[in-house]
Amino acid sequence: MLEDKLEDVFSYTEERCLWQFFSRTWDRTENIHGVVDQATALLTGKPPKRDTPMERLHYADGRTMADDLRERYPWVREAGEEEITQVMESLKARLLDTTIARSTNRELNHHLY
Amino acid sequence: MPMVLLECDKDIPERQKHIYLKAPDEDTREYLPIANAATIPGTLSERGCAFCGAKLVIGGVLKDTIQMIHGPLGCAYDTWHTKRYPTDNGHFNMKYVWSTDMKESHIVFGGEKRLEQSMNEAFDEMPDIKRMIVYTTCPTALIGDDIKAVAKKVMKERPDVDIFTVECPGFSGVSQSKGHHVLNIGWINEKVETLEKEITSEYTMNFIGDFNIQGDTQLLQTYWDKLGIQVVAHFTGNGTYDDLRCMHQAKLNVVNCARSSGYIANELKKRYGIPRLDIDSWGFSYMAEGIRKICAFFGIEERGEALIAEEEAKWKPKLDWYKERLQGKKMAIWTGGPRLWHWTKSVEDDLGIQVVAMSSKFGHEEDFEKVIARGREGTYYIDDGNELEFFEIIDLVKPDVIFTGPRVGELVKKLHIPYVNGHGYHNGPYMGFEGFVNLARDTYNAVYNPLRHLAAVDIRDKAQSTPVIMREAA
Repeated sequence: MLEDKLEDVFSYTEERCLWQFFSRTWDRTENIHGVVDQATALLTGKPPKRDTPMERLHYADGRTMADDLRERYPWVREAGEEEITQVMESLKARLLDTTIARSTNRELNHHLY
Repeated sequence: MPMVLLECDKDIPERQKHIYLKAPDEDTREYLPIANAATIPGTLSERGCAFCGAKLVIGGVLKDTIQMIHGPLGCAYDTWHTKRYPTDNGHFNMKYVWSTDMKESHIVFGGEKRLEQSMNEAFDEMPDIKRMIVYTTCPTALIGDDIKAVAKKVMKERPDVDIFTVECPGFSGVSQSKGHHVLNIGWINEKVETLEKEITSEYTMNFIGDFNIQGDTQLLQTYWDKLGIQVVAHFTGNGTYDDLRCMHQAKLNVVNCARSSGYIANELKKRYGIPRLDIDSWGFSYMAEGIRKICAFFGIEERGEALIAEEEAKWKPKLDWYKERLQGKKMAIWTGGPRLWHWTKSVEDDLGIQVVAMSSKFGHEEDFEKVIARGREGTYYIDDGNELEFFEIIDLVKPDVIFTGPRVGELVKKLHIPYVNGHGYHNGPYMGFEGFVNLARDTYNAVYNPLRHLAAVDIRDKAQSTPVIMREAA
């Protein structure tokens, strides 16, 4: 069941989310953690952080993500905090693997932009 | 499905690494086309040069700047007037072209005096214009003309002018992409934070990677005005030289074309802590999402929802009229790079069109990660495609319409396949809500144009009958 739900959120992220494909490894890592954490907070009823410019940026992306996931997948509306957190942590791991660890993009680790 | 070796490429098998056919349960960890690599000898590339990427794509858009091209005349003419980026000051940038018109004697004896003379002549002839970008080209780079030293001398003699130099000859990279990079990095290193402008709103942003193609920037500006957001600098649609010097003053960088302009957004984040937000400005769903994200950043969500509701009420019925008639049509996109991933889902979601083949001239592997993630299975993804490959792909996927530039467009017209100008547009703007209705209209007019069928009829052959095409009025 977790696999199916992970597939749902991963498919959505592939289709809609440009932030996973920023230029370099460190940008992608920052975005994947930042946006998915903000979306998780919103989906589990916790207050998102909006103090710094980067927190507000990740909130903007995370809010869209949370709204879309609720709209697309009925199970998201019914899931508890533990299940949401589990799915979203798995999503982070899969995104880090797909867009960084096993990406063959030859520019990811160039030290300059 | 492995990478694809087309029949026409059997003598240049290296091309297989550049063409991918997406199959179920595959992703870019296994198959990612090689991109931003040197064109393979034996393939007739559609690419432009690095100088073109700097001048034609980014610098030449500015509405108040002399574009001095230090080289033979052809370098200037061939990067002038071929892209439609109007301005609100009478299209200064499209009316004039400047060149040092280098001849053999200047190549032999050096061209710096010629450049200095040309710069002074240009400023004298246009006394209201005080800003200039100077570009090297292949020959002036090869002979080692020091354009920075000349610019410094002219600025010393004319204290009221400001000059930026772009040292990016055509041979300096594998495609236009190198020119984008050189201009971006040069500008942040030399010009950002050299001027401060008046800030009139607590919500400020730079809009980066939009070049006002047929009015895109001006259309989107109506949205930012309604939202109360001050655009510090447009990089570079309808933009000014001095606004770009003030980019450090914005609170947010909103990026549309991440390929041509992502570099400066990254550097603004690194050096000034200004976050980078990437959005898609083409398509109803994407445009609404982009507005929502910008407003969420600033905490003005209600304004964003009101704007989206207003725009959708006005334009959605028109879009739906076209969607009904374009449902299931097949499109190929053969453009620069980012429009592949900007458009593939937006035309599918908003217009019911299937994108069956995409080719990028200068995209990097990052662009292919994006487009393969978003694109359909059974679609071809091609890096640096050539004419023979286009012919073969057309036979394989049989598109109803091709979005590409005029060069390839004229080619496919001979096959009686309609094309829509994917670079300069047919009748834009194409961005925003109104813009996407324009794109839908041009697609509809192309697909249902009776002329392409009539063109295929040989009137000397009595056995052929003229096809009857039914088309509803828009």
